[in-house]
Amino acid sequence: MKARVLDGVDVLRVVDVLRSQGYQVVAPFAEEGGDGAFSTVTDENRDAIALHLPNPLYPPKRFALPPIEPLLEIRGHGAETTFRPIVEAPRVAVFGIRSCDVAGIGHLDRFYLEGAYRDLYYATRREALFLVNVVCTLPGVDVGEACFCPCTDTGPAAREGFDLQLMDLGGGEWLALAGSQKGEALFQEPFFRRGTPEHLARRRALLDDLRTRFKTFTSWFAAAISRISRGEVSEGTWEEIGRRCLECGGCTYVCPACTCFTVSDRPAGPDRTERVRIWDSCALSGFTRMAGGHNPRKAVHDRRNRRFYRKLSHHFIQRERSVACVGCGRCAEICHGDVGMPTVVELLRRGPTGPSPAANGGKA
Amino acid sequence: MTTAVRENVYLPKRAVIDRVNDEIAGVKTFEWHFEDPAEQAAFGRFKPGQFAQVSVFGAGEFPLSLPASPTEGRMLFTVRQVGTCSAALHQLGAGDRFAVRGPYGNGFPMEEYRGKNLVFAAGGIGLIPLRACIVWALAHRQDFGRILVFHGARTPKDLMYLPLLDGWQHSGQLECYLTVDRATAGWNGNVGVVGSLLTKPEVKLPVENSVAFVCGPPVMFRFAIRDLLSLGFQGKDIVSTLERYMKCGVGKCGHCCIGMAYVCTDGPVFTYEQIAQLGESI
Repeated sequence: MKARVLDGVDVLRVVDVLRSQGYQVVAPFAEEGGDGAFSTVTDENRDAIALHLPNPLYPPKRFALPPIEPLLEIRGHGAETTFRPIVEAPRVAVFGIRSCDVAGIGHLDRFYLEGAYRDLYYATRREALFLVNVVCTLPGVDVGEACFCPCTDTGPAAREGFDLQLMDLGGGEWLALAGSQKGEALFQEPFFRRGTPEHLARRRALLDDLRTRFKTFTSWFAAAISRISRGEVSEGTWEEIGRRCLECGGCTYVCPACTCFTVSDRPAGPDRTERVRIWDSCALSGFTRMAGGHNPRKAVHDRRNRRFYRKLSHHFIQRERSVACVGCGRCAEICHGDVGMPTVVELLRRGPTGPSPAANGGKA
Repeated sequence: MTTAVRENVYLPKRAVIDRVNDEIAGVKTFEWHFEDPAEQAAFGRFKPGQFAQVSVFGAGEFPLSLPASPTEGRMLFTVRQVGTCSAALHQLGAGDRFAVRGPYGNGFPMEEYRGKNLVFAAGGIGLIPLRACIVWALAHRQDFGRILVFHGARTPKDLMYLPLLDGWQHSGQLECYLTVDRATAGWNGNVGVVGSLLTKPEVKLPVENSVAFVCGPPVMFRFAIRDLLSLGFQGKDIVSTLERYMKCGVGKCGHCCIGMAYVCTDGPVFTYEQIAQLGESI
């Protein structure tokens, strides 16, 4: 992996170069009220791009998997009906994506592109996507109260999955790492210069220090994974988690690693219908309800069990080669009932073992 | 099997309805074909127990089991009107266009069952997916031992595929036993659940070297399984096809997942032994 050094005042010139190459660049901005959000960079707002701010609650996952994505355009009626796929590949560069969210897109890559069926819509959008990872370096600013990426081995500095990685070394200097050929091509720009071993040593020292500054440390993933995979979590523990869940679905909508969607045909003008896919949530009661009303997963705690089984069971970890949690802490921040990932991992670890739903498998 | 790099698995193929038959109240059978003969030929190699994603444009897309056997050389859907998509399909008649993609899922491993007795227990429209297996088995009649069909419904008017069952029964190719929950005038047959047929003295149900196919509503499924297990069937010799809310059919949308299995790609056919180990109640 090639490294270069650049001055802090030149960091946003990376945005300028990408825009001049035809990319729609999205970057984080501090919005009113202190919340951050990814928005499209324009000539007007370019200088307001925030390099250090709390990770926006709404993850940049949407540039790889939009919350609503057209699949087909349908025209006409009856025998005259015609339809064609709408496969879009906008050239989008996400500037300032954090390491946790890079890992989230890596998880999506393995989920949508591998297995028996490859998702053409995801593949097409993903191929056109350029990721500029900015490493979190400021405790209390970049690293939030709920962050726990060292526990999921996804941060604070991503090791792969980005095209370019930028890290604030302090003292007005930034370190750049190329993660792809497209990223390395940027090193031709005159504002990049060769670094020294001292720069890499500063990077290591910063990260070593940063790893001790996290407020949330849920080091018990292993115990939770073991218990959930063996079916040792008691029904009572799930019921406790279910009682705290308000069924808002917020945890799934802010999760960088959630993949579920529903599909719907909706009117899109006179004589035109669009088939769209829309993010869906296993927290919602309609998620498994079939036509006719039968719902195999009606109870709230069964639905919570589903979320954490899907994310933590050994079976799925092996399949996607990653835990479907990237340690971003967004679910912990958004959950009114405090049953985000860190709390649940703790409840699973400490809860009594007992007869689990798995032991009742099949006895509907 | 992995899909080709540029293949769009969500793109349905145009199909035409040839004929519509009323089966029972609220249930219709559609005979159909793909507009493109190449699609027809490719799809025609499906296995009993597989399913398709069916588009009725404007209403949406939904999964349907394939009641025809590939040995019949024709395509069928039998559908009860229960939701938006099935209601829209029920509006269509001969000559109307819709679209289909698939076939999806694992299907029943019929080849593995050669030499065995086949026991079919179907509650109500649970006979729809099993119809494919029965027709397939009759097309390979010499490969199997006894073939027994146990079919139950709420009332005599709700029994599925009656002319077909009668025909098979009279030709002596299989043994068919019917039952209803509630008799109406003119019904001389059995009254009771499907399981009550299994122990009738005239049935002499073969347990050794047999495979039992169970399909029906959740209550019927639970009790039929219990009855088969108590008669000595092993979990690995009871197979079923599971039904779930499903949006993609290709293991991506996440709706049909039960425990560790995606019903669309790992199923929909599971043995009872597998069902008991999925990690979640069905």
